[in-house]
Amino acid sequence: MNKPVYVVAAQRTAIGKAKKGGFAKKRPDDLLAEVIAKTVEKSGINKSDIADVVIGCAFPEAEQGLNVARNAALLAGLPDSVPGITINRYCSSGLNSVAFAANMIANGDVDVVIAGGVENMSMIPMGGNDWSVSAKVFEKDENVAIAFGMGITAENVANDWKIGREAQDAFSLESHTRAIHAITNGYFKEEILPIEVVHNLPDLATGGIKQKKQIVDTDEGPRADTTLDALAKLKPVFAAKGSVTAGNSSQMSDGAAVLVLVSEEYLNKHKLKPLGKFLGFAVCGVPARIMGIGPVKAIPKVLEQVGLNLEQIDWIELNEAFAAQSLAVIGDLKLDVAKVNPCGGAISCGHPLGATGAILSTKVLHGLRRTGKKYGMVTMCIGAGMGAAGIFEAM
Amino acid sequence: MRGGFYVNKVAILGSGVMGAQIAAHFGNAGIPVVLFDLKSNQGKPNELIEKSVANLKKMNPKPLAWGKSLDYITIANYDDNLELLKDCNLVIEAIAERLDWKEALYKKIADHLPNDVIIASNTSGLSINLLASSLPEKFRNNFCGIHFFNPPRYMPLVEIIPHTNTNSEIVVTLESFLVTSMGKSVIVAKDTPNFIANRLGVFSMVATCIHTENFDLPLEVVDKLTGKDLGRAKSATFRTADVVGLDTYAHVVKTMTDNCKDGWEECYKVPSWMQKLIDNGALGQKTKAGCYKKDKDGIKVVDLKTGEYRIADKKADKEVLDILKGRDWATKFDALHASKAPEAQFLWACFRDVFHYAAVLLGQISDSSRDMDLAIRWGFGWKEGLFEIWQQAGWTKIANWINEDIKSGLTLSKVPLPQWVFDLNDGVYQNNKHFNAKENTLVERKVLPVYQRQLFPDLVINEKSDTPINVIYENDGVRLWHTGDNIGILSFKSKMCAIGMDVLTGIDEAINVAEDKCSAIVIWQEKEVFSVGANLEEFGFAIMMNGKEAVDKIIETGHRVVSKKIRYCKIPVIAAVKGYAFGGGCEILLHCDAVVAALESYIGLVEAGVGLLPGWGGSTEMAYRASQSIEPWKDFERRYKNLAMAQVATSAREAQEMGFLRDSDTIVINTRELLYVAKERARFLAASGYRPPVSPKFEVFGEQGVATVRGLLANMFAGGQISEHDLLIAKNIAIVMSGGLIEKNSVVNQDWVLNIEKECFKELALTQKTADRIQYMLENGKPLRN
Repeated sequence: MNKPVYVVAAQRTAIGKAKKGGFAKKRPDDLLAEVIAKTVEKSGINKSDIADVVIGCAFPEAEQGLNVARNAALLAGLPDSVPGITINRYCSSGLNSVAFAANMIANGDVDVVIAGGVENMSMIPMGGNDWSVSAKVFEKDENVAIAFGMGITAENVANDWKIGREAQDAFSLESHTRAIHAITNGYFKEEILPIEVVHNLPDLATGGIKQKKQIVDTDEGPRADTTLDALAKLKPVFAAKGSVTAGNSSQMSDGAAVLVLVSEEYLNKHKLKPLGKFLGFAVCGVPARIMGIGPVKAIPKVLEQVGLNLEQIDWIELNEAFAAQSLAVIGDLKLDVAKVNPCGGAISCGHPLGATGAILSTKVLHGLRRTGKKYGMVTMCIGAGMGAAGIFEAM
Repeated sequence: MRGGFYVNKVAILGSGVMGAQIAAHFGNAGIPVVLFDLKSNQGKPNELIEKSVANLKKMNPKPLAWGKSLDYITIANYDDNLELLKDCNLVIEAIAERLDWKEALYKKIADHLPNDVIIASNTSGLSINLLASSLPEKFRNNFCGIHFFNPPRYMPLVEIIPHTNTNSEIVVTLESFLVTSMGKSVIVAKDTPNFIANRLGVFSMVATCIHTENFDLPLEVVDKLTGKDLGRAKSATFRTADVVGLDTYAHVVKTMTDNCKDGWEECYKVPSWMQKLIDNGALGQKTKAGCYKKDKDGIKVVDLKTGEYRIADKKADKEVLDILKGRDWATKFDALHASKAPEAQFLWACFRDVFHYAAVLLGQISDSSRDMDLAIRWGFGWKEGLFEIWQQAGWTKIANWINEDIKSGLTLSKVPLPQWVFDLNDGVYQNNKHFNAKENTLVERKVLPVYQRQLFPDLVINEKSDTPINVIYENDGVRLWHTGDNIGILSFKSKMCAIGMDVLTGIDEAINVAEDKCSAIVIWQEKEVFSVGANLEEFGFAIMMNGKEAVDKIIETGHRVVSKKIRYCKIPVIAAVKGYAFGGGCEILLHCDAVVAALESYIGLVEAGVGLLPGWGGSTEMAYRASQSIEPWKDFERRYKNLAMAQVATSAREAQEMGFLRDSDTIVINTRELLYVAKERARFLAASGYRPPVSPKFEVFGEQGVATVRGLLANMFAGGQISEHDLLIAKNIAIVMSGGLIEKNSVVNQDWVLNIEKECFKELALTQKTADRIQYMLENGKPLRN
């Protein structure tokens, strides 16, 4: 990076369970607007200084379509002068938005950019509302994997890397244990914005409208009561004789997160207190049939870019798309399991696709700060065979 | 104008196994019902009832014909919701068999009931007269027993039991309502212990238990001897006891022990080996162990000598099984009676004692031999009633044999056979008449107006329907006939109404005749099914012998007759569907102008199971129907999955949801009224100036549809969920339903898609794996996965 880039605010929503959770009926554009408004307020920047709003979303259509970044910016009360762009690289969209925003500042073009991510999987299903495949996919055998669902790619990784069912279930249990520990100890208090959700419901008995309000402020996925036995009972979902189950896969979720990035001059001029610095980002491709292995390529690349080695990284948010791919990545790179997802991950907390990168960035910044550690990494695998990784330095 | 009593809303008191299932069946019938039970002490007030209702979704066989049946059920408790009773003019009480509880409940609800309410108790043991006397006086005349059989959706029988002062009008009202609105078969019974069907059925089990011990037979042998081969349920004697529950069985036996002083009182006991099982908590299916239990070693059965479970591997005597394969009852009884084989003597003893019992009880439990026979048929699933079997075996001969056994002290009771048995030389059924004990003579059956809707009701032997059959065309495959009006009725003559070349050409020629002589055609089968589909044996053999040419002929004939003739002929064609309508049978109903379906219809395009795709226009019709939907792709996906996975709807309602029936098709809850309603529908279409539809043009998804389906299939194949042949079948179905590999949203017509259907069918039909699937289905009656 040519110039340093600082994060002065990073906030996320709690992660809601898709379909039955607190955000199932909350429109993603409305939700994002609230997170933008509150995070901007917390950051202490001037609204009119914002040069752009970059939002990641994995299925940017319908309720989160029509360039949700610009719409949410306007709904958040940002001035007309603030533009917005929605970007998509599936599960890395939220992290990629931070990288895009950071690059604009690092180039010296602008001083303040909002980055973030949003996804409502209750409203827009995996694959979007109208999943459709090109006939060309079937002309070459090696291209068929383009059509593979993520579950099949996880089964492929489990087979190729010989990751057994028991190891996957144990990984899942650990994710839940860590998440519950974090929640019980209030570790997420600083980073989560409580969101009020209002339901206008028909009261058939009186003929009037009954208003129900709820505050969503806690991740809904983690289960204190899950056990290895309970996990072992679940049937494989994707393959007849497979090992990937609903219990050792990430959960479908709703959520959003926003970060405010500024230049060094702006930071100093407005005497803002930074959470941390964004050091760099890398992304690369792997075969689509084993997309889960993506971080194995992306992590060394980003480390080389920023001039750090793995031992120097104190905290790793490795997105738990599936236990199978997480374990394969951990094994290949010999990651220190104590550093990986200390507060749980997507298997326990949930994975609102396009929002995840921004959520994990928020988590890592607050986590480093809380524990007094220095370097943190966010990394994930990406559909159709990619991996991404980004590095933060806490301040 | 609708005359008489209109059931506005029903209250069911008690949400136990029977109460909840009866409520479900009211829901199936589209009749609003309030299901009451006790308020829960803790938690939500209606927790108990909510649980019973939720359980309906898990039970097998399914009590719910479709999910929406539940919309008709309101749940309520006796403490908070009694005001809901004010709209209920039929109340069915189905709580535990305790007189004091029932009495208390009747008192509690009395003030909340409308004045014209009919109250009925679904008791199976208590006296209706006794229950009536516990009711507040103003409701007594409108009270009777109403005895459903488990499972109430599937067992046709309902016994209505009036007490001495029941208003006879409400009996007729209730009977008519149960028949037309609930699809039930009704017998009016006298107020005697266990009424008719259970009295006879349970005695039959009691007698079988006694003779099992007397002849020292293993239980699995008895079940082999007393099941399908006798025209009874496959579960025979002891498997049935396990399904019913040994405790429940003991309870009904106890009712007989306590109340029946009929000369057989010595017999009304549960055998000691069974009592031991009950004491050990082995109550049958619900406790996963009873007479039988299944464990890792296989199916085990209780050994009567040791009382322990052992592998159920004893075989019945082949000589006796061969006797049971005999041509008719006379031959079978002669052989059984003459045989020295213990199992033959056992069977004779069982029949003898049940005949003896039924003859003595005629007049006590019912005046009518016919009602007794129909009750055991409808309530226990016997193909023929007791008197029907006796008479076919030779009335006087059997009577004499029984008499000899009474004299020799072999029978279970010494009570003599009644005199009328000897007075009737030819038996209880003669010339459309049956025996009535009260009048001590043969009488004609009485027919309520509601039965005029049953053109072909259930009959006993030597009875015939009043409906005339005038045949106007016939070949080896079909018959076209009418009942004296201008509605042609087309029926298939083949086994299970399978469709061979003779049926196809028969349909073609019958329609020609009907266009000339009839104003409409109803396709209705005299058998209990609509059609199991193409005749696999005939066509499988033809393809094996003549390959491509045979396929071309089968498909071209099917297209000409099913896809074209039925659809575009000059008169309306109505399918009257009941039971199975699979494959080619389903394709026929898809091309009719309207379908009138019995609720108990099981419809599906199951060709994929034998390695094929619907090739008589069914795949093409699915492409067309999807194109007409408001959401064509979603509809395409739904229909595609039905075909690729060979899904079968488990009721006509479900068939509507799955898209095999249209919303405009008519559903009839009583299968016996199907032809009546179908003819009305045919008359209506003919009267409205019918013109056949013109062949439509429609949009298809083309290569894009195929690619997206292949994307889904690639995942299933990679996950090992489908075989390579499954993949080929599924891909070909996708190609037909997408109208071929053409640009998305191209406009095509029926002929275009039919041609693709033919080619894709042919590709599958000529593979070895499909030949293997057909062969396997013919040999084993179930699909092969290869």
